Amino acid sequence: MGDKPIWEQIGSSFIQHYYQLFDNVRTQLGAIYIDASCLTWEGQQFQGKAAIVEKLSSLPFQKIQHSITAQDHQPTPDSCIISMVVGQLKADEDPIVGFHQMFLLKNINYAWVCTNDMFRLALYNFG
Amino acid sequence: IPCGIKYDKTWIVNSIQSHCNVPFTPVAFHYNKNQAHFFVQDASAACALKNVNCKIHDEKNQKVFVFVNLSAKPQSMQKMLKPKEMAQLKLTLNKRYDVSQQALDLQRLRFDPDLVKHHIDIILNRRNCMAATLKIIERNFPELLSLNLCDNKLHQLDGLLDIIEKAPKVKTLNLSKNKLKSAWELDKVKGLKLEELWLEGNPLCSTFSDQSAYVDGQELGSPIIIGTEAPEIIKPCKESYKGSETIKSLVLQFLLQYYLIYDSEDRKGLLSVYHDKACFSLTTTLNPEDPESSSLEKYFKDSRNIKNIKDPRLRVQLLKHTKHEIVDSLSVLPRTQHDLNSYVVDLCIQTERMLFFSVNGVFKEVEGESPGSVLAFTRTFILTSISNS
Repeated sequence: MGDKPIWEQIGSSFIQHYYQLFDNVRTQLGAIYIDASCLTWEGQQFQGKAAIVEKLSSLPFQKIQHSITAQDHQPTPDSCIISMVVGQLKADEDPIVGFHQMFLLKNINYAWVCTNDMFRLALYNFG
Repeated sequence: IPCGIKYDKTWIVNSIQSHCNVPFTPVAFHYNKNQAHFFVQDASAACALKNVNCKIHDEKNQKVFVFVNLSAKPQSMQKMLKPKEMAQLKLTLNKRYDVSQQALDLQRLRFDPDLVKHHIDIILNRRNCMAATLKIIERNFPELLSLNLCDNKLHQLDGLLDIIEKAPKVKTLNLSKNKLKSAWELDKVKGLKLEELWLEGNPLCSTFSDQSAYVDGQELGSPIIIGTEAPEIIKPCKESYKGSETIKSLVLQFLLQYYLIYDSEDRKGLLSVYHDKACFSLTTTLNPEDPESSSLEKYFKDSRNIKNIKDPRLRVQLLKHTKHEIVDSLSVLPRTQHDLNSYVVDLCIQTERMLFFSVNGVFKEVEGESPGSVLAFTRTFILTSISNS
């Protein structure tokens, strides 16, 4: 593990943890957000741990599976980490669709939390 | 060397050298667009190199062109310290080196009276100055343990990228009162096995709550903790035991007798319980700095938390060996009263001659700093049977 820069290690661990929770028990995602966190889900804004968990728990599917195609991580000047994920997901029996997600991670009291989260499906025909 | 970009540095230099009867040292070898460039210091080498033109053939059997021109000193050389300056720097560093501690104090090096007197400007933030300093350290103080770079207006630590080669044994690094803006700078010195790192007085401090101690987790990488909430409370499980009743009663009997003596006035009775070569250690997870746990001093003293204690000697020291050492250290702990009703006993391993089980429970401190306080514990026992007992 020692050859990758530390922000990559942290970013990858977070990504792995996030999608594992999301795919299996997304109601427990609350632990990674704080009250100042922001989520933009398909253009809708949510702020605060409670609002975010409510939105994620109320998404209209029973089963969800994410498959990550690529992830990138960068350190920020204020010692945070910015991560970008590109992948595909399958909800219930719907067709597989691509998605993009971006996270901003901050270290608070030795634990990494997500302060900003933006999600979009890769759909191009809005008509 | 036009088209030099396609050649590997070592190959091209060796090839040229083999065709050139004058030995030369290539200086500042670099690639610029398609070309490879390097400098040589003396004219005879330059002349000989001129003759190498078209003499070398590459893998595709194409001629390698080598052109030679007169030029000014390469940029990087211009910034290097002159030999006289290096000599003075070495003297200055010698004065600042404490042999007994193997510590080098480079605080405010730029304003050192010796350097100022000789008009030598050592700005450590500049790579050439830092490189020169590290070169002297590598040659003269290779066993360096502590480096103080306080108050040198360091904006970045790029100059310390090779510190792991030049001063590998450094355990204490003082970077306080500099201009470091981001904690990511520290990634550049991550190869060092630091035990102490000073960062106060840097702009980056406002972005982090505290960074007073930095221990490089070599055996165990520092855990990456994600999320702030405690996990769901796991409901305590009901008692269930599927083994033999004799073992169960043996364990319970042992615990009854053990804690009878343990809770009594004099723990010396435990001498008959422990084997001659028994071992004991205790750990507490509470933070000794925390004012709330100051009453638990006696437990901190002997706490052997392997995660925090890396020094092998200390680790051995804190492991109590022989029954006398054990009973002595147990006798120092405050008088207790254990609540046997609270016990949850797990039997981990059971063989003909050995029992390995753990006890989780609570006890009350009966006297000492804070009588009446209730503490929770987990204790693991390994019992062996010798002859019939």
